[in-house]
Amino acid sequence: MKKLLCVMLCLLLAMSLAVASAENVVIEAVPNEGQFEGQELSILVSAGWMDNRYDDTIARFEETYGVTVDLQTLPADQYFNVLTSDLDNGTCPDVFWTQSNPAGMLISMIGDPENRCIDFTGAEWQNVMPEARQAACIAYGKLFGLQIWHNSPEYVMIYNKTLFDELGIESVPTTYEELKADCAIIKAAGITPWFVPGKDGWQHQLAFFQIGGVYEEAQPGLFEALNNNTATFAGNEKMLEVLGQFKELNDLGYFEEDWIATTSDNMANEFGDRTIAFAMANSSYIKQLQDELDTEDEFGMFLIPLGDNTWFPTSPAGPTMFGYKGTEHEDLVRAWFQFVCTPESLQEILDNSPNYTNLHVNVDIEQHWLPEEETFVESIPAEKMNCCVLQNGTKYTNDYWMDFGNDMIAYVQGTMEANDVLAHMDELRAEDAKTVGDENWQ
Amino acid sequence: MNKKKVYPQWFLLAPLALYVVFFLFPSLLGLFYSFTDWSKNTPKAGLHFIGLDNYAEIFTSSNNYAFGIANTLKFTVVSNIVKIVPALFLAIILFEGLRGMGAYRTIFYMPSIIPFVIIGILFTSVLNFKNGMLNNALEAIGLGTLKQKWLSDLNVVWKSIYMVDAWRGIGYVMTIFMTGLSTIDKTYYEAAKVDGANFWQRLWHVTLPMMRGAIMINLVFGITYGLKVFDIVYVLTNGGPGHATEVMTTYSFQLYGAGKYGLSTAFNSILLLITAIAGIVIVRVMSRKGEV
Repeated sequence: MKKLLCVMLCLLLAMSLAVASAENVVIEAVPNEGQFEGQELSILVSAGWMDNRYDDTIARFEETYGVTVDLQTLPADQYFNVLTSDLDNGTCPDVFWTQSNPAGMLISMIGDPENRCIDFTGAEWQNVMPEARQAACIAYGKLFGLQIWHNSPEYVMIYNKTLFDELGIESVPTTYEELKADCAIIKAAGITPWFVPGKDGWQHQLAFFQIGGVYEEAQPGLFEALNNNTATFAGNEKMLEVLGQFKELNDLGYFEEDWIATTSDNMANEFGDRTIAFAMANSSYIKQLQDELDTEDEFGMFLIPLGDNTWFPTSPAGPTMFGYKGTEHEDLVRAWFQFVCTPESLQEILDNSPNYTNLHVNVDIEQHWLPEEETFVESIPAEKMNCCVLQNGTKYTNDYWMDFGNDMIAYVQGTMEANDVLAHMDELRAEDAKTVGDENWQ
Repeated sequence: MNKKKVYPQWFLLAPLALYVVFFLFPSLLGLFYSFTDWSKNTPKAGLHFIGLDNYAEIFTSSNNYAFGIANTLKFTVVSNIVKIVPALFLAIILFEGLRGMGAYRTIFYMPSIIPFVIIGILFTSVLNFKNGMLNNALEAIGLGTLKQKWLSDLNVVWKSIYMVDAWRGIGYVMTIFMTGLSTIDKTYYEAAKVDGANFWQRLWHVTLPMMRGAIMINLVFGITYGLKVFDIVYVLTNGGPGHATEVMTTYSFQLYGAGKYGLSTAFNSILLLITAIAGIVIVRVMSRKGEV
């Protein structure tokens, strides 16, 4: 049942990628009758989730209602520790953000949403979100969150098309063997084939998780079984194969020489200097490259070919906004959520997001899709868009993203076995399931 | 009771109360929580006493927490050796009347006042394999073969941490030694010289015995710092590559972040125990030597 639900949600998400939503929800802001005059709305958010995108909207909100907004932006690597403490101590700001997905991440991240989050069930703005994203905001049948996020085909391979052409690589790799062959050509030309910024701690494991369809295809019903605790990561042949391929690419020197200690800070320049050929990134990263680099090179994208992947990385997940139940300004919080969902605010947020090309909403706003994105999406068969990425299609997986990344590096460096990496994920998931009282793990 | 003796003891009440409320009570509370299943789910599921389960988990889990404990002990020993020995010689050299002693002392001391976050940013840049200053300098002077992946090679990464930690801490240790040196009466050295003692003999028979206090202070500070090390590891490697440089506090931090507070507190309790034992042993040993 959960698998069916997940597939349906993903299908909905995928359809909405290629086709503009037929539904156009129009939300109006709460009328200003001076009811909030002088109040302060505090918002806790991780760096990268609001940035400057919300600045104009916040300014209009303050002006409209005569209130002030206290935006508390924390570094990403400290964010969840602070949020957890604030929620536990009852000192959480009026509005807080956390990651959420349709596989129950809301509960595992927040712990007890019914006692910690404002119940927005019945809010007009619910349908601003496509159904796939609504599922990431609902727990125990109640609406708790608002997920306004981008829907660029996320984390595929972005490559230098011009460079590929010059090196005589006529088509992008679609299998692991083709990838290896292309890497050999690129490396022979003195260029790093695959830029993997391992020091970031959260990027390299995308190569394993973004190809969820591969695992589900190899073992139909795997996602459901993982969610029911009737299957494990450990011993999964396909997962072992993919990990092995990742290690082989490392051993062959197809990643940056010191990729484990390399951050993504310089990735755009590396593309610009032609010292790298491809890297995993959001498809809209092409826009960033075009904006930042003084280059004539053209960029394109292809699916991550590990495990001979042919699946599109469908992922109805992302940073999600919640209202804190202990707030003294619940009406103001509700007004803020409604204000964000007005067409004017949504357009403002997208227009102020230079690194993203769209907002995944059921509102008629002007999207900025790149031609490369449209071409890429059109090239993927619809039936290859209906399986979620592994981290968001299975419960308690995304919570241990960083741990898995560390284990992958330990495996690549030879201090851990591949199956131990997978078994460790099983153990961590079980601990989390036990912590939240999941009956499938009792 | 003599009023003159009782009266000053009233002044102890305020600091004692602060110590009990803000140190002793939280420590005991932490110890209590380490025997419970305190977690992010506690508000919903309640708090339960689970005996020694958290401690058993630390020593038996596939997470290999014991490796973190071993790394902590290793860091404590090595980091103190690489700081205390050079710092002692630097202090002696400077104290012997090297020209510009004040300037050198300031230069050596400066790194210890730089925040760890800045040190992390600085040295992840300096130690970068491709564009880092250290590898570029080695290349420039024809020692390119000595280039290393300073923060990702399993055989090198700990050495890098010790190096940066020594760079930061030597000046501080040296300053304490210089204070100790300044308390030694010059006549001891003059007498030793008259008796024909060379530098090493003077060091062994005069300097070190007379510096017992300074050595003890540095050892106590160094060992407690080493056992609770977090910042320098966090900013340089964050426990990586993989789990190669995990220490007790990085594990404790991760567990706390994951909402496993009981387990995290158990880690801290073990740390408290080790630190207390180490502190008592050092003070006892040094005090006994003083009595002889």
